[in-house]
Amino acid sequence: MDAQTARAADAASYFLIESKGNWAGPNAGTFLLDAAALAEAGHRVRVFLVEDGVLSAVGTDTPEIERLAAAGVEILVDDFSAAQRALGATKLSPHVRLAGMDVAAAALTQDGCRGVWH
Amino acid sequence: MATTMERRMWDLLLILTAAPHSSDVVTSALRLSQAVLDNGGSVRVWACGYATMMTQDTFGDTKLPNTRDPEGHYPSPSAIVQRMIADGQGRFAWIGCTACTEERGATHHIPQVRHRSPLRLAATVAGAKQTLYLGGA
Repeated sequence: MDAQTARAADAASYFLIESKGNWAGPNAGTFLLDAAALAEAGHRVRVFLVEDGVLSAVGTDTPEIERLAAAGVEILVDDFSAAQRALGATKLSPHVRLAGMDVAAAALTQDGCRGVWH
Repeated sequence: MATTMERRMWDLLLILTAAPHSSDVVTSALRLSQAVLDNGGSVRVWACGYATMMTQDTFGDTKLPNTRDPEGHYPSPSAIVQRMIADGQGRFAWIGCTACTEERGATHHIPQVRHRSPLRLAATVAGAKQTLYLGGA
């Protein structure tokens, strides 16, 4: 088994939920960078932005979102939280897509999925 | 002869420590719970800290009247939890942490709430396939 195959066999699936906005302190950005690091290490990572966390997805020049996208992370934005904050799809980064809580529920109940809420 | 008991595994455990109204977190917890239930799964909520206030029986079924919508129906948090437990038919449960409850004098829970000592938190986590900690003390 070569190193790449071994890495793929050890890969885990993560569903990481960010609920904090960037102004709540540096931890929100750090959490997203942890997600990018996991993806860069070969794991499957999905990030779900909810509550004030959706504000990280506004605009096109958020470094954390850019790095997540470059690492192949699927970035989901809670549709309800975005609507509550009057964020239309056009205001969001092209790297994200709107999703409902049903998507989070399905992911978190998948076998082997490791969920973290921040 | 020794027998082994099958332990029930819950799909999702939410440890909810955030205070109601401190942010959107309680709404998120209830939305996520409902989504898992709609997906056919099972959910337990472990309410800690001020989240134990949500299921007080003194709330009644509705919030105070909204003067801008006097005919509107706004269920209290305890009524929402009661409805979700009833609709869930055994797939939704709410646990109140006894230490947090007693510390706040919030001991009058609706009868559907289970009371558990924090000493049983680890066992409760072990009884779930997935645990999320929705924090904020």
